Amino acid sequence: MQGWVTLALLLSLGVGCSLGQNGVGELPVPRGLTLNPDLPAQTLSLTWQSDSSLFDLEIFHTELMNVVLNETVAVKTDPVTGLHSWTWHSPLPLECTSHSAHIRARNQQSVSQWSPLQTIPGWDIPEKSESNMFPQDKVVPVGSNMTFCCIVKEKEDFKEIMYGRQEMSATRLSRRTYAITATNQPVSGNTGTNVICCSQRLTLTGAVVFVGYPPGDEGLVCETRDLASAECSWKKGRDTGLRMRRSRTKYTLNGRDCLEANERKRWWCSSKAWEQSWTLVARNPLGTVHLMDSAQLTDRVHLLAPVNVTAVEVKAWSATLQWSWSVAAYKKLEMVCQLQLFAHELNSTRNYSGPGLSSVVLESLWPDVDYTVTLYCGSKHGFWKWGDKSAPYRIHTKMDRPDALDVWMWMDSSNTGCVFWKPLSVRKSHGALVGYEVSQSSAEEDGWTPVSLPPGNFSYPIILNNGSDITVAVAARNPAGLSQPSTVTTPAYRADSQLSMSELLSTNGSFVLSWQPNANASSGYAVEWVPTGCSGLCPVDWKKVPESDSSFTLNSDSLVAGVRYTVSVYALSTGAPTLLQRWQGYSQEMTPSQSVRELLPNQSGSDVLLSWKATAMENQRGFIRGYTIYLANAAHLELIANISDPEVQSYRVKGLSLSSYKFVVKAYTSAGEDAGATVAIKMEMDTADMLFVGILVPLGIMFCCLILISICCYKKREWVKKAFYPEIPGPKVPGDWSSPQGPLDVKPSPHSLVHIVESPEWDFTKEGLFPVPEEEEESENDNIEVDADSDEPALLRYYNQVVGDGSHGNQVSDSSGSSNTSVDSTQTEITYAGIQSPTSSQGACGGGGYRPQMQSVIGPAEPQIEFEADFQDDGLHAGYKPQCSWQLDSPEAENFSGSLGSPTSVTSSQFLIPESSEEKPQPSNTWFHNFLSGKS
Amino acid sequence: MAGRGTNGRHGSRGHAGRTAALARLLHKECIQLLELYRNSESLPSSPVDGGYLVSIPPLVPQLSDAEKISILHAALKECLRLLEDVITREDAEFSDEDSEYKRKWKTVRDRLGHLLASTEQLLVEGQKFEAKVKEELDGQAVSGSFRLKMWIVRVLQDLVHWTGQTSDTLRSLPAEVEKAPKTMSRRTRRGAEKIRK
Repeated sequence: MQGWVTLALLLSLGVGCSLGQNGVGELPVPRGLTLNPDLPAQTLSLTWQSDSSLFDLEIFHTELMNVVLNETVAVKTDPVTGLHSWTWHSPLPLECTSHSAHIRARNQQSVSQWSPLQTIPGWDIPEKSESNMFPQDKVVPVGSNMTFCCIVKEKEDFKEIMYGRQEMSATRLSRRTYAITATNQPVSGNTGTNVICCSQRLTLTGAVVFVGYPPGDEGLVCETRDLASAECSWKKGRDTGLRMRRSRTKYTLNGRDCLEANERKRWWCSSKAWEQSWTLVARNPLGTVHLMDSAQLTDRVHLLAPVNVTAVEVKAWSATLQWSWSVAAYKKLEMVCQLQLFAHELNSTRNYSGPGLSSVVLESLWPDVDYTVTLYCGSKHGFWKWGDKSAPYRIHTKMDRPDALDVWMWMDSSNTGCVFWKPLSVRKSHGALVGYEVSQSSAEEDGWTPVSLPPGNFSYPIILNNGSDITVAVAARNPAGLSQPSTVTTPAYRADSQLSMSELLSTNGSFVLSWQPNANASSGYAVEWVPTGCSGLCPVDWKKVPESDSSFTLNSDSLVAGVRYTVSVYALSTGAPTLLQRWQGYSQEMTPSQSVRELLPNQSGSDVLLSWKATAMENQRGFIRGYTIYLANAAHLELIANISDPEVQSYRVKGLSLSSYKFVVKAYTSAGEDAGATVAIKMEMDTADMLFVGILVPLGIMFCCLILISICCYKKREWVKKAFYPEIPGPKVPGDWSSPQGPLDVKPSPHSLVHIVESPEWDFTKEGLFPVPEEEEESENDNIEVDADSDEPALLRYYNQVVGDGSHGNQVSDSSGSSNTSVDSTQTEITYAGIQSPTSSQGACGGGGYRPQMQSVIGPAEPQIEFEADFQDDGLHAGYKPQCSWQLDSPEAENFSGSLGSPTSVTSSQFLIPESSEEKPQPSNTWFHNFLSGKS
Repeated sequence: MAGRGTNGRHGSRGHAGRTAALARLLHKECIQLLELYRNSESLPSSPVDGGYLVSIPPLVPQLSDAEKISILHAALKECLRLLEDVITREDAEFSDEDSEYKRKWKTVRDRLGHLLASTEQLLVEGQKFEAKVKEELDGQAVSGSFRLKMWIVRVLQDLVHWTGQTSDTLRSLPAEVEKAPKTMSRRTRRGAEKIRK
């Protein structure tokens, strides 16, 4: 306590010093400051006494001494109370925390001392330990800002403040008070917007704020229904969004509570008596709306609906309607009534007027029609609006006899025809038809012959027995009776071919017809149109034209596109109709639906004659203007002719070569071409030409070639001989055969082996030579077969048969085979018969069969020894080795030595035949050789 | 909650079984109603400060089943009174427009009346227990719409609690209780209970 006193003393001294520095002391301190809070309004009124008129004010949140207001205000003394008074509007509810204020006087730069602090306690003082939130149940306009505070109860923590579903950022104002500010608040739901303060475990407290709009009602209008009382109505306007009972809009009409509207049933108020002016006040916590209206009673009559509407007399063409009024005062009111008649395609509205109108006669009704009547009325003088509609009332008018039929007769031949009539519309039948009666009379027969037809018939066939005219009368019948008969006399039949018809061109799908007026057309004209060429049940249509007219437009809706019509105009009189004019035309031309028929090609030499026939008329769908002929190539059609005369139905395509052709013929109308008919033709030659070209010409050419070749060969025979049969020098064996030599690699000249055999220099002593195919080449070029028939002889090597290797033994045999083939092919007529058994082979060497080499060559031992030595010296591939060596590959090898050098080592038997033999074979090519050599 | 599941034996226990099933159904509907209200008002699921409004003597084991039912019957009766009061106040304060929440209110009120009538047949004649309501709406310090809403939550919390208690008690009720005449003395019933044990 002593400490507080010391602190206060020091503070006062300090303040005194500071004030002294500012000239303090001269202005008196304001006295008697009192604080008066208005909690719902969140205002704090300050009153004090002072002689000054300018004051500094400071307001604090007491607990934390946060300054919430520091302002200099000029406040005059209230002359009545002699007090100064100033009001501060707090953004925060004053209950949230304690507020303190003090004041001092100011005179320019001079100020007085501050007055003592005055405090109003908040609800966060220790004495109020419970949780609370402020403000409660505020009603505020949409878009406003608002601050809420939560006072947490003692010993409870604070977690958050939720505004609706939104967690808000809270500010601490005191030990227990936290505040949030909601800005631009949206309209609330049905039960307001909840602001909830929570601790970690509990919902502590909260408040509800109602955010809405002021009333938006408008358009007050008062009227009378009974010519005495008033009913005022208006439009509700925008929803206020305030559903709480105490926040709802309250209405008063001319100061009286409007119970109907306040119960939210209807937006209208009633008053038992009519008043000249009306004021509606709509009020809710956010605002008030005043709506005004003023009018005379007679100008605001809104009649009630007529009641007890009945039809007292219903006829075929009229009915009388009666009704009554529920308000007696209406009986003297000059009123106008509107009556609406609803029927199928017969709707109409009729007006009636009169004082207290309660009955009208409905004229111009149609027989046998179901009408629905609705009636409503209004005040005639000072008409305000139509009254309520009566309940719909149904009237069914009675039937009447049908109207006369529209009848026409169409002749499809000179003695047959058909009477047609058009079905009657609802307006003309006057009741459901039960049938037709057709009567006919002719000059020969007296009286009429009646025929009854069911209601679905609209034609009747006519046959003229002896060519005399027939008059037909047709009448329709319904339950009310028979219509007036309509008569028609058979017109004279005129076939199309008998007339010179003109082509009728359409205009926008319609035919515009005109004809010369005819003096005989006393009953007008009839325009008839029928599809051209139609027979049997044809869709004949017609239209009767008054005699004053000589033109008619046949509309497209009664014509079918692509159909040719024959249009005729008849003059009508008391007798038979007279044909005046006839046309044919299409309302709209289309491309033909089918191509030309019977398209045939006919070849004539290099020309082709194409012929066809036009498609049937029903498929033409337009006037055929011509034909186009195309040559069809792979990808496109090449136009080769355009025939603009539709009568021409053939075309000759000239100058075609031998090939296949496709021709396409298309007919065309003004709308275009059809799809086209295609025909193909293959151009063929004549028989004589074929013989000449196919046989004689190649033969001639071949013969000429042979002659030329022969001449050429003869003239160049030296060159040919040199090129193909050069002279081959005979083999010369100089020197000693005992010395080993390199392999004699003889490449045969490109002539036959026969030459070698025939060579006169051939020495039998060289019996060891024999042709051996060049194995390496063969093996390297397996795919290159040695062709014995080839002009190029096989490459052969001549070896002395000294090779002792087993493989060489095989080679011998193989080479024999090759040699055989070679020899055979060169036609040297070398034969092996009787020399080598067909079974002889390399395998036979070991056998005991015929072995000519072994038997016939038993030479002296010396050469054998020499060869053996050579063999041993030179090895296996020591070069050329004449037949002095032999392979020893069998147990009898030693015996073979005797055969070395023997002619039997040559596979060809020819070597075995002595040169001097008289039976020397004559080469088969001798004549050719001689020819080349110039021998005869 | 799992302990309050459907039990087939209730069906064979006649009136007590039907009453138990009714209590169980009502308990579920009260939970749904509380949830519905919290959702419509965007209220947090944390409990409202203040505890249960209705208080009864403790249901100690020494009490017989019939006595327990009598005590719970008294609690439910207070709940019904609070519920009707809340409905009236809410209609007076806020919009009386129809909603699912309003329809559920009326269903719960009607079913609670049926449960009270049904449990009344299980009571012992001559015995009267009373339940107390700790707080009344009019006695609270701060008035306002939020207080009414919190009060509604508290009433619903009480409804959930006491219907759950009743359902559990009726579910554990022996079959003999139903068979015993209403005039059976307390002592006799206890004796029978002991024999069973």
